[in-house]
Amino acid sequence: MIEQFEQGVEVLRQQIDARISSYFSSCVHCGLCAEACLFYTETHDPRYTPIYKLEPMRKLWRREHTFWGKLGAVFGLNEPLTEQDFADWETLVYDSCTLCGRCSMICPVGNDITYMIRRQREGFSVAGYAPEGMKEATKRALKIGSPMGVTFKTLKAALAHVERDTGLAIPIDKKGADYMTLFSSMEVVNFPEYIESIARIFQAAGISWTISSKAFEATNSGIQIGNREAAAELVNRIVVAAEELNVKYVVSPECGHAYTSIRWEGPNLIGRQYPFEVVHILELLEQLKRDGRLQLEGKSATPMTLHDPCQIVRRGGVVQQPRELLDGVAETFVEMKDHGVMNWCCGGGGGVSANDRAEPLRLRVFERKKRQLEETGVDTLVTACANCRIILEEGIEEYEMETEVISLTELVAEHLVDGSKNKE
Amino acid sequence: MGSMISISIPPGSLGAKAAAWSLLLLWLMLLPGQGLAESKQVKGLPPPAVLNPAADLWRDIRQRDMATTGTTQVRGVDSGVLINANGDKWRKFRMDQLIPIGGYLLLGMGLFLILFYLIRGKVRIAGGASDRKLPRYTSYERLIHWFIASIFIFLALTGLIILFGRPLLIPIFGKELFSVIASASKEGHNLMGPLFLVALILVFIKFVRRNIYQKGDMSWLLRGGGIIGKKHVPSNFFNMGEKSMFWMLIIVGSVIVASGLVLIFPIFGQGREWMELAHVGHAIGAILMITVIMGHIYIGTIGMEGAIEGMSTGYCDLNWAKEHHDYWASQMEKRGEAISNEAVNRFSDPDTNRSLGRELREAGE
Amino acid sequence: MIGQFIDGPLWTFSLAVFVIGVVWRIVTILMAGNRPDLSTPRGSASSGAIRTIFSRSVYERTAATRGRLLQIAGYLFHIGLFALLFFAKPHVDFYAERITGFGWATMPHWAFILSAELAFLGLLLLWIHRLLSPVTRLLSDLDDHLGSILVFLVMLTGCLALAQSFEALRLIHLLLAELLLIYFPFSKLMHTFTFVMSRGYTGATMGRKGVNA
Repeated sequence: MIEQFEQGVEVLRQQIDARISSYFSSCVHCGLCAEACLFYTETHDPRYTPIYKLEPMRKLWRREHTFWGKLGAVFGLNEPLTEQDFADWETLVYDSCTLCGRCSMICPVGNDITYMIRRQREGFSVAGYAPEGMKEATKRALKIGSPMGVTFKTLKAALAHVERDTGLAIPIDKKGADYMTLFSSMEVVNFPEYIESIARIFQAAGISWTISSKAFEATNSGIQIGNREAAAELVNRIVVAAEELNVKYVVSPECGHAYTSIRWEGPNLIGRQYPFEVVHILELLEQLKRDGRLQLEGKSATPMTLHDPCQIVRRGGVVQQPRELLDGVAETFVEMKDHGVMNWCCGGGGGVSANDRAEPLRLRVFERKKRQLEETGVDTLVTACANCRIILEEGIEEYEMETEVISLTELVAEHLVDGSKNKE
Repeated sequence: MGSMISISIPPGSLGAKAAAWSLLLLWLMLLPGQGLAESKQVKGLPPPAVLNPAADLWRDIRQRDMATTGTTQVRGVDSGVLINANGDKWRKFRMDQLIPIGGYLLLGMGLFLILFYLIRGKVRIAGGASDRKLPRYTSYERLIHWFIASIFIFLALTGLIILFGRPLLIPIFGKELFSVIASASKEGHNLMGPLFLVALILVFIKFVRRNIYQKGDMSWLLRGGGIIGKKHVPSNFFNMGEKSMFWMLIIVGSVIVASGLVLIFPIFGQGREWMELAHVGHAIGAILMITVIMGHIYIGTIGMEGAIEGMSTGYCDLNWAKEHHDYWASQMEKRGEAISNEAVNRFSDPDTNRSLGRELREAGE
Repeated sequence: MIGQFIDGPLWTFSLAVFVIGVVWRIVTILMAGNRPDLSTPRGSASSGAIRTIFSRSVYERTAATRGRLLQIAGYLFHIGLFALLFFAKPHVDFYAERITGFGWATMPHWAFILSAELAFLGLLLLWIHRLLSPVTRLLSDLDDHLGSILVFLVMLTGCLALAQSFEALRLIHLLLAELLLIYFPFSKLMHTFTFVMSRGYTGATMGRKGVNA
């Protein structure tokens, strides 16, 4: 254990780059970040203050990067980072942070607190202080290829269903296709409608696409638990598969963190740039709509509101696209009070949904989303992340609300101008 | 003879005019000192009956028997007044009444509180501290309380130095050092003063609703507020005493602020008489205020067990609340607002912070 | 004697510690280095950085009640302090005489007093808030309080010396300012400079992603 702890400290030490040094130097402990964090606003427990979740890393930084810290260390005045710190902070780092990035938007000195927590998790995971649920998910992802244990066989069964329902042939391992589409296990298991929607939209838009039998899983547990090696391995599988099939684009599914991992973290994890481009499904759909390749007809009369998935919108930069798409299919689109890059997290991001222990807390902080929803007075919630979707549904059930959650891609598919669509 | 001033000084020679003015001013400034010195010398003796040959001249200059304002080419408020006759009255009031009476009042209040403490002792929570607390003040309410408190203490200290410096501090520090202290106090007092207005407005807006007199206040007063007897007297969120102090803070505070502004911004045409009046109001109001606040501080700290908790932590003990603010406490309890001590500590005691990881893990298991 | 020391050698020393210390701190932060970002940018990192350096000063409407107070007090303190530090006549005269050799436009006396009032208002509110709020009580360490106290004392002694007629008061103000300068590079006060870096780094990252941070 001691050895593992020391490795963890060493990894944590390596994380402290110029950004983190400047962030810690700038933080004046004003506590404003607490107001941005739903774990604080819903519990009023000061320990959920975002910057407080970084005390272990700050302790190390202070001891090794500051004058007083170094001086104190010489005279044995300040205590070093201990294994107990890891134990005490594990829940703060994993259970009460969804890496949603809201605190990073509000910090007056501009600290990217979310980035720091993501980095701190690297040290925690190596030291062995990570939730069992996330450790298991990462193991499954590395061994089986999916955090939920979905194999290509399972996907194939789902695809067979889709082919039967739509009468379309789904191309698998087609070399030279333009787009290679990824999915999240959540979609394969819980929302196969998403796959069907993709198939119909691509058919309608006349897109050359394929699915790789070697890498169809877009989620990345390594990113969530904070393990660089695992994360790199998972990204590499996709990159290798895409290179083998010689595709021009890789399409990230609705899942939020998958987009962050393959689009933004991926090249840095594997240490090279991709020979292809990564696009989010919403980016692609909006592009197709703008180019006139995606013809939509009829607008839903039900008033709708949008839940912005943090990793796609705030941390991903796909902000306007979902709005453009929603405007094209909904007659009444009501924005939430805090929307876009300042939207509130569903409570299940950053691996919290894979962490059973965090469930009571997660459901409690869902009150924020509940209030936001009630303010809109709308009963139909559109989102674009399979993980958000399942978390939202669980929260809605817990609080006995009447809200229906639908996927934006599926909603778009319902409004296709195309003979092959099956309107209910 | 109303134009005597402009005649007596050759027109056009500004330098001479200024010299005459500064001479007069110097003389005015020396007056109090002379007065003090004289009064020491002549203690117990009748004043020597020496006729001053220049008395008539001075009587004229002082304009005792005619209109007090002359005409002058010097532009400015009161520039037509050569000697402000009321100034002497004001000076006399300040030296002979304000300083001694004010001083004894403050001293008396201090002695009274010490005596009261010796006789009555600390008012304990009769039922002892309970295991539950009530949320009493939000962090914003506490913030503005301590904000006005810190400004008030600073202004009180510097103000007292300015008022009582001559009799109390010069003997200790000497004139040289005191001049430094006095200048510093005056500058500090003037700069911080306007902030008291800001604080007063914030406090008024936040607390006024709970301070409107209502049913039950009178009976509280008639039963002596419970501090004199041993029996507990129920009251609302604020009791009659607190409400009265609030209104006094607002009313007397406004007088202090208004007169203070008249004193530090002599740019609205207010003359010396206005300034003297403002000073008198400012000083009397402030001494009154300080006396009352001394009592407030006494009850809040050593006078009563559990009284400061609400203002420091935001929560007060349930038993304390029942004994001193029963109407409010029972309402709060009925609404289920009482919180266990542990729950309160979770949010306010930094010592429990390190155990969160363990707590959450145990809760999850 | 002691006055000459405060006015002469100690001033030179503290200014040197301040300048060298600040440069040293910034250099050590930069030396820690950042890994280059290999992902394909959607927007420009540099314009994102510049935008965030300024846009983070804009009031953040989504912060709740406590955030409103913190932000307003923060504005009062920082704007007030900045104005009186660089545009009050006594300060500009001092800089002209001791550092730059030239002066610049100063504010009228009333504006000087007003900015001092605002700075005091902001600092007091922020510091009392630090002492009261459970969040800041949990976060704050000795450094946070020491920084607040030193700045407060420098401002207070400055205000006591406003009459500008007593050498002793000026020297006390100067002495405290010198202590502040010496303490500065080793403390949180460094955020005066590093906030630009922090906002810049964050703005660059978010700018690449096409997010206005």
